[in-house]
Amino acid sequence: MTTGIVAWMKNNLFSSIPNTIATVFILAILANFIPGLLDWLFFSANWSGETQDDCVKDGACWVFIQAWSQQFFYGSYPTEEIWRINLCLGLLLSVVIGSNFVSKTIRTKIFVPLFLLLPFVSILILNGSWIGLEPVSTDYWGGFSLNIFLAAASIIVAFPLGFIWALGRRSTMPLAKSISVLLIEFFRGVPVLALFFMGSVMLPLFFTEGTNVDKLLRVWIVLTLFMAGYMAEVYRGGFNAIPQGQYEAADSLGLSYWQKTLLIILPQVLKVSMPNILATFVMLFKNTSFLMIIGIFEILSTTQAALSNSYWLGGHANEGYLFVAMLFWTVCFGMSVISSSIERKLNTEHRK
Amino acid sequence: MKLKFVFSVLFFSSVAFNSSVQAGTLDDVKTKGHVNCGVSTGLAGFSQKDEKGNWSGLDVDVCRGVAAAVLGDASKVKYKPLTAKERFTALQSGEIDLLSRNTTWTHTRDTSLGLNFAGTIYYDGTGFMVRKNLGVKSAKELDGAAACIQAGTSTELAIADYFRQNNMKFTVVTFDTSDQTRQGLESGRCDFLTSDQSQLYALRIGLKDPSSAIVLPEVISKEPLGPVVRQGDDEWFNIVKWVVNASIEGEYQGVTSKNADDLRKNGNPGQKRLLGSEGDLGKKLGLSADWAYNVITQVGNYAESFEKNVGMDSPLKISRGLNAQWTDGGILYSPAMR
Amino acid sequence: MATKNLSEPVFYNNPGIRAVIYQILLVLGLGYFFYLIISNTITNMEARGIKSGFEFLGSTAGFDILMSLIPYDATHTYGKTFVVGLLNTILVSIIGIIFATIVGFIIGVAHFSHNWLIRKLAVIYIEIFRNIPLLLQIFFWYFAVLSTLPGARQSLSLGEAVFLNVRGLYLPNLVREDGSAVVIAAFIIGILASFIVKHWARKRQEKTGQQFPVFYTNIVLIIGLPVVTFFAMGMPFGLEYPVLRGFNYSGGITVIPELMALALSLTIYTGAFIGEAVRAGVQSVPHGQTEAARSIGMKEKQIMKLIIVPQAMRVIAPILNSEYQSLVKNSTLATAIGYPDLFTVFVGTTLNQTGQAIEIVFMTMAVYFVFNMIISVVMNLFNKKVALVSK
Repeated sequence: MTTGIVAWMKNNLFSSIPNTIATVFILAILANFIPGLLDWLFFSANWSGETQDDCVKDGACWVFIQAWSQQFFYGSYPTEEIWRINLCLGLLLSVVIGSNFVSKTIRTKIFVPLFLLLPFVSILILNGSWIGLEPVSTDYWGGFSLNIFLAAASIIVAFPLGFIWALGRRSTMPLAKSISVLLIEFFRGVPVLALFFMGSVMLPLFFTEGTNVDKLLRVWIVLTLFMAGYMAEVYRGGFNAIPQGQYEAADSLGLSYWQKTLLIILPQVLKVSMPNILATFVMLFKNTSFLMIIGIFEILSTTQAALSNSYWLGGHANEGYLFVAMLFWTVCFGMSVISSSIERKLNTEHRK
Repeated sequence: MKLKFVFSVLFFSSVAFNSSVQAGTLDDVKTKGHVNCGVSTGLAGFSQKDEKGNWSGLDVDVCRGVAAAVLGDASKVKYKPLTAKERFTALQSGEIDLLSRNTTWTHTRDTSLGLNFAGTIYYDGTGFMVRKNLGVKSAKELDGAAACIQAGTSTELAIADYFRQNNMKFTVVTFDTSDQTRQGLESGRCDFLTSDQSQLYALRIGLKDPSSAIVLPEVISKEPLGPVVRQGDDEWFNIVKWVVNASIEGEYQGVTSKNADDLRKNGNPGQKRLLGSEGDLGKKLGLSADWAYNVITQVGNYAESFEKNVGMDSPLKISRGLNAQWTDGGILYSPAMR
Repeated sequence: MATKNLSEPVFYNNPGIRAVIYQILLVLGLGYFFYLIISNTITNMEARGIKSGFEFLGSTAGFDILMSLIPYDATHTYGKTFVVGLLNTILVSIIGIIFATIVGFIIGVAHFSHNWLIRKLAVIYIEIFRNIPLLLQIFFWYFAVLSTLPGARQSLSLGEAVFLNVRGLYLPNLVREDGSAVVIAAFIIGILASFIVKHWARKRQEKTGQQFPVFYTNIVLIIGLPVVTFFAMGMPFGLEYPVLRGFNYSGGITVIPELMALALSLTIYTGAFIGEAVRAGVQSVPHGQTEAARSIGMKEKQIMKLIIVPQAMRVIAPILNSEYQSLVKNSTLATAIGYPDLFTVFVGTTLNQTGQAIEIVFMTMAVYFVFNMIISVVMNLFNKKVALVSK
């Protein structure tokens, strides 16, 4: 075997006639396509300016993104209060990262409750009216941070809720079981878009007359229930992966049902289902972009609002959508990398 | 556990996010200190957000006018962006005090939804925009053509009627937003675009080459757009109705945001009555005497609002047309202010 | 149970009784919850003057729909709009499922290609399309790609029979003439016969060990038989070609760009997930299996077909089930580009015109629920079959 770049190319690109044809074909397409794209993206792009009129060159008008960047990330949240959004994002990040570096006892005793409280703490901080900060109504929340908050808050509440549904499904009580199955199958079987519509046009009818429940809260409820259905299914897989011996051992120690479930089973279920939980979260996160269709100012509908502003009517759809796609891609790809590294770790642990 | 969660959410929601509807919207607004106003999620010239998140537009100015009249401060508005589907529910449930979201005044809506239309702020109609290279001069020549329409609007019904009535065939291509209809026309997916005329101009500017499309002369439907309130609260209905009238009357009387201070002292009796230095128009509405003065100084009269948002001072450059004062060939006519 | 020897347990500590009490509480709680919701809804609907019931299905719709598989125009009823939307949803779902499976398998296998470029492209494909929201991908294909096609008069054409322009793909339509039923019958007979041949060949192989060229025989049966009858009956099929008339092409079959964009993005998005599943499935088969198969002299093609695929399918099949389900649910995003599926037509326009949210949203949810159930049942049967093969 020879080494070096020529040999590598011979082995990997031109090993046979069909292979050579494929290589040439692919390279030809790429060569045709990439220079124009790069030119539009970078070389002829407009990078600096304030208004639409500053976009004079043929390429992309990144000025559009720059001018609207605050809207894209934070929505209409008052500029001087944006630290509150950053604080909440910081809290979320530090709890998630922090829990990976502390010992098991601290994690279960402090970080888990912290994690579960996080959505409510964030609501207090973001809304502000209950803790003496400038009140900011939910109509001003928006942008990419809203996508993140909604996804995070939904999955956090869905953690316990989905677990209860999954327990219900395993229960020997026939009624509890059938109700759980019904709930899980309903929320898994119905398109999330239909659920959003339910949240936006039907839920208001469900509450007592005269009550009006914040639209964002309604969406949160719907997303949480949707997520709980999927989480319950993930837990079910986790339950199946746990050896029967664990249950029997816990029973023989005389632990009660809840002790057994929460102390012995749950930690193991969480551990084995972690990659699936992350995958479910990525799905949920991508689905938050559908909120555009019911008029929540998450990033995609902010983009559309920006596109319909009379001072920006120049057709910047490509730039806007590309930017949004890039943001989503970065977060989702990051999560999938983490998920596969956890999966690899789990696999090696099992093999030991 | 499950139930506990559901109930705690319900409880939490009813405690934390609840604002109950009272019979008197005026008292309610005064207590809250702001007007909850339902607007569109983004409609050029009518309700749009800028980079800083500030709302502007002709519809938005109604919200601001009502806030100025009731609370003395046009900035005391909380905007609730609504989709077309949600708008009436939001008003009926009391989530908003006022809906100003380019809503067409129709018989069905006025009579069967528990709503009242408080006047017209823009007389619109369904129109056509075609690509110039088709060489079409009239909508009658559009037999067999494809139309780009925004889904879920009254336009969808109007155009179906029009083509049926003229024994013509057409293909309908619906889009979710009006910006997408523009892209549809631009790419040639359809031959013409149908929308409210006010929107046609906005959409035309959005084209890469605005001169490549023309707006046809036909207007095939009546679309009077105006603010909507809940039925059964006449006090609030009157306020919104007269805020709209005050801005129209302001233009008619020649009162602008610039000269209002002066005219308040030195104007003719009509101007003085409007601005509250004579008579008690404000008191009869349950408002302070300077209600209309606040509207005109903070929001401007109809002409100022029109020109700034959709007219010659805006990128849309829509001419007044039907929306001129009756003395200028339009149909704007405010009932007498006395 | 530990208390058994000490004393008689108190009745509420008896697990059986406790379970009954729990369930009674649960049912009472849920019953109250639903009572609350339903009574609130009724009060609210009365207060707001919202009509209820399904009479609206019988009234005239008054709007047109871009594409319909059955005759429809604005004078038909709202009930008909439901059917039109339903059929369009089924159409795009079936197209999506078929092509996503094909793309997924190609991408999954491309992971194991000898060509470095192809391997890398497969990885890039999966990582890009899996991690971008489907809605954005639909926008991309519809507004950035398909809308750059030429206009009607500059259509790309293939032999004056197939035309592609910004209005869609125009294909010649098959027109049936006398005797066409015989050809169709021949086609069906061909398919049935091929199953019988396959069954017989397997039986024979089990008994005698002799192999039979099933693949080629079946090709002759499925394609050859109808072709022969086609000529025998004097070519009873004609083609209707699309012709440029006025603004646009008419005649033939039109595939609207909305359908193309939606089917394309569903295919590409779901294909990425299926591709990943196929890769994982193939990887899950231990390498020793391949080596063992080689050592007993099996050919590469046989190894793939008889050793790897059956085992990989055990991993792939359950994922296919959930991917098909989400594809059907994701097809609701049609509403963003105006493809007239159930969601666009029924929850979009019909709901807007009638205002009967509850009935319409529930009807729609029920439809998707049933779709999911059907996919689940079919895929579980398939699952059982692959599970058996592996034993």
